[in-house]
Amino acid sequence: MLRSRPQGLWTYKRTRNKREPSRWGTSLPTLKRFDPPAFLPDFARVPGLLDQWSEAVSLWFDDSVKAEEDTFKRKKVEARVQYYNPVRESPSGPAVEQAITWNAFPKELLRQFGRDRALIEGDNLWPLSRYGKSLADRVFDRTYYRPLNEYCEWHVFREPQTGRIKRVTFTSEPPEYYSALFGDYVQGYQFHGDRREFLELYRELVNADVQLKDLVASEDLISATGEPLVTKGSYNPYNKWNTTHGIAHLAAPPNSLTAEIRLGADATVARKDARGKVLVEPEALVCCAGYGGPDRNSDPTIGSTVNALARLGAMVTLKNPVGLYMDHVDLVGWSAPDGDDVAEFVKIVRGQPGMIERLEVEVPAERGFTLSEVQIGGIPIAYGGQIAECITVKLTGVAVLAGIKPVPIGCDGQCCIDYAYPTKFGRPIDINDPPLPGTAVALVDEGEGSPADAKKAGIATAETDTAYLTTKRLINRRRI
Amino acid sequence: MSGAVVGPVAPVEPVLELDDIQGAAVPGFLKPHQTLIGINCRATADDVKKFKGFIRAISDGIAKGTETLADRREHRKLQLAERADAKEPVAFVAIAFTYAGLRKLTPSADAIPGEAFRLGLAKRSSLLGDPSEPDAEGHPAKWTVGGSSGDLDALIIVAGDNRAVVHVRSEEILEQIKASGLVKSYFEAGAVRHDKGMKGHEHFGFDDGVSQPGIRGRASEKETDFITDRHVASTATPSAWLYGYPGQDLVWPGEFVLGYPATSPDPLVPGPPASAIPEWTRNGSFLVFRRLRQDVGLFWRTMKKEAGRLSEKEGFKDLTDERLASLLVGRWPSGAPVNRTPDKDIPELGKSLTANNHFRFDSDTLELPLVQGERDEFPMAKADPAGLKCPWAAHIKKVNTRDSGSDMGARDSTYKRRVLRVGIPFGEPLADKYAEPKDDPEAGNRGLLFLCIQSSIENQFEFLCGRWVNDPARPKMPGGHDFVIGQNSAPGEQHLRKCTLFGSDFAAAEVSTDKQWVIPTGGGYFFLPPIRALRSILSV
Repeated sequence: MLRSRPQGLWTYKRTRNKREPSRWGTSLPTLKRFDPPAFLPDFARVPGLLDQWSEAVSLWFDDSVKAEEDTFKRKKVEARVQYYNPVRESPSGPAVEQAITWNAFPKELLRQFGRDRALIEGDNLWPLSRYGKSLADRVFDRTYYRPLNEYCEWHVFREPQTGRIKRVTFTSEPPEYYSALFGDYVQGYQFHGDRREFLELYRELVNADVQLKDLVASEDLISATGEPLVTKGSYNPYNKWNTTHGIAHLAAPPNSLTAEIRLGADATVARKDARGKVLVEPEALVCCAGYGGPDRNSDPTIGSTVNALARLGAMVTLKNPVGLYMDHVDLVGWSAPDGDDVAEFVKIVRGQPGMIERLEVEVPAERGFTLSEVQIGGIPIAYGGQIAECITVKLTGVAVLAGIKPVPIGCDGQCCIDYAYPTKFGRPIDINDPPLPGTAVALVDEGEGSPADAKKAGIATAETDTAYLTTKRLINRRRI
Repeated sequence: MSGAVVGPVAPVEPVLELDDIQGAAVPGFLKPHQTLIGINCRATADDVKKFKGFIRAISDGIAKGTETLADRREHRKLQLAERADAKEPVAFVAIAFTYAGLRKLTPSADAIPGEAFRLGLAKRSSLLGDPSEPDAEGHPAKWTVGGSSGDLDALIIVAGDNRAVVHVRSEEILEQIKASGLVKSYFEAGAVRHDKGMKGHEHFGFDDGVSQPGIRGRASEKETDFITDRHVASTATPSAWLYGYPGQDLVWPGEFVLGYPATSPDPLVPGPPASAIPEWTRNGSFLVFRRLRQDVGLFWRTMKKEAGRLSEKEGFKDLTDERLASLLVGRWPSGAPVNRTPDKDIPELGKSLTANNHFRFDSDTLELPLVQGERDEFPMAKADPAGLKCPWAAHIKKVNTRDSGSDMGARDSTYKRRVLRVGIPFGEPLADKYAEPKDDPEAGNRGLLFLCIQSSIENQFEFLCGRWVNDPARPKMPGGHDFVIGQNSAPGEQHLRKCTLFGSDFAAAEVSTDKQWVIPTGGGYFFLPPIRALRSILSV
């Protein structure tokens, strides 16, 4: 039997502009604990789990800070890490809250396929083998994920007889939340969980027929590099109720809360290229530091926003409750065949306005039509991706202007581009590796700092810039 | 590898077929006087035949890109010699068609990609945030041209150095229309403002079109025959390859003309060409026309009231209406960018072509060496990633995020949204900018005949209006709606627009209004065909 919904359903009307108050310019106290994303209520029903969640998030922050310390050590640089765990410290200085927003529809699909095919691919599941190779033969071929890597995934429910769209469900809930409720070991932390609550939540959100055995991994999912995605007996985020039969939470490999925390940390490090120029371009930073994907909406803008604040001397962290959220759905231009209200099609199922974790878009039965008859700008909705184009995803950073002097370090990675068909970068490669066959090194950042400063420091002049670039491009021309 | 040809260090820019591209698209007429003439043709075979005959007759007089560029270069040369008056005045003509008009001329119009073009502006108007209430002035039912009652079939633009030459040319065209049995369904004249010091300024008083991007491309095979002049010294790499004037982005021509390389993820690498389907559309562009009425009195009375309210708040002391309006535009009336001079206008900076576009948002702006002894001695912009000096709701930041990442990712996301603005104001300036409607001799009939060139109406004009200008959280936060041209037609929000501003010591304040001072009153989505097509497929 289904429980009543853990939170009242928010109807969408008049919620877009309701935003949490921002704190600007005041120093922040040390955080008492990390709350679950969007203050979701499930952990409160499991004794000790709220505390465990806080401990785990704190550990993930500590690990990220440690990773940056290690980076500085590896680079033999004396510098202060500008990322901090807000339950451990509260740097002094005026605080700036910076919401970072991006569009939910994957730019990577647009770059790779163009919009028409990207919309089709966005509603499809891909075998994990398209993301990476597995250690065990063919296990990734029979395991599916959504090629949606903007921290927002969706599932389209169609009427079996007509193919018309009945409902589209969107989620930005991180997989770690479900692993915690299941009682898994997640990124160095063992949760005790509660499998009864876990199963109930799945049944409530996805389908009353869900069985626990459906959700447990029956085999290991190990990548070719030996990285365990899922181990036998643990929670399997690629289970059928989160892929082929429905959706509970984010499952695409890049879409995780721990990745977001680490990306925030990596992005606080100032970077410089071989000329000594401090990098400022969003994609150049991703490529140089090797955090996230350069072909996305999210990672370049998250990284560059954090990096810009860090370059101003800020200590940076993520706002509690740390999470990935849908901010709002832009319903401007939507029209229904009966000419009536479209706002009632959108329901916030988990979370709250500005911190939406689960969203359902569905026409109430009494209106007598389906989403396929609803139009956006005069075009009927045929794919979930058309709605995703109207969804803004968000995380919120906090920067304390602490007067730190950043110490830029050299690049660890670089991006390449295929001059014959230059639509995307692909994953960054190691800075010391040759460009992939058929590609050349991409992106030249203007950098920051005046020529006078650079000359004084003896690191770059206009003449050396040109020489550097010439060499760089020529080398790569030879490689092609 | 596929045998790709990799250019030299600096990108090799394509040669544009300027004999085939209409001059209204590249390099753009940008003349001080323009007249727009709308035409409709009845759908009978006989009328369509006359329509084709008219196109054939007028096609020889359609301005090519080559002529327009030569005229531009002559004008600049004379201007440098302080002999601008010595130039023989000319009038240029362009012609563009809606889908409805083009469909009458050729069934292959159906193959042109683009939902927006096929549906037309009136049917896409709700996506742009135009009011859905049929009695609202901005609703297509109330438009004076191209509204719910039907699209124009064609739009003719006559642009010239003075009113007289434009008038003469327009009269000739009107005669041709009459002789062809076509219906002249729209006629309107526009001109740059004639009041003192306001040439080039729109009716609210701000210098307009300052952020116009540059077209990356050459007019001939000559290595440096660039359509957009270069002003950054070649030693400043990669800046010299990125800009015309400093900060003037060079955008691959496929963003404006079909068939040419468009933006790729790397700004110095040409992307795949913008599709030209059917083949005869190569060298064509899409033209958006939007007749926008500007309620100048309402705008400035609101600024005055809001500045007065805010100036009583901590951090906003002495805020004037001019500074508030400048924060919301992102430039001072002179065109000087707020990021370079946050506290006061510097008219010389506004006028300086080498300085007025040279600024970044997320990072300190670099000093750049310029060609031919040009100098930029004005204060450089400092990094302002959170929008403390110039808010993210400012108009110029809502439509061009420059170096900053946006909700659509990195720099290419901005390049792919750029349009070439080629419109002109209409109506007499309002002498007292605070005037109440009863004191306005023109009864509020002034504004902008907004015209812009692009290769995709959906990805450029519509995206800018619908997704960035009108959305409070995009492209960046803390933001808000574009307070100058934005609209809010989100369900249940009663057209309320809001944005966040910052004063001294991080003081934050919200400005809000449910009033609308830029009101759509007409327009259309057009295709500006190549000249070759005017002489062949569209007239036979």
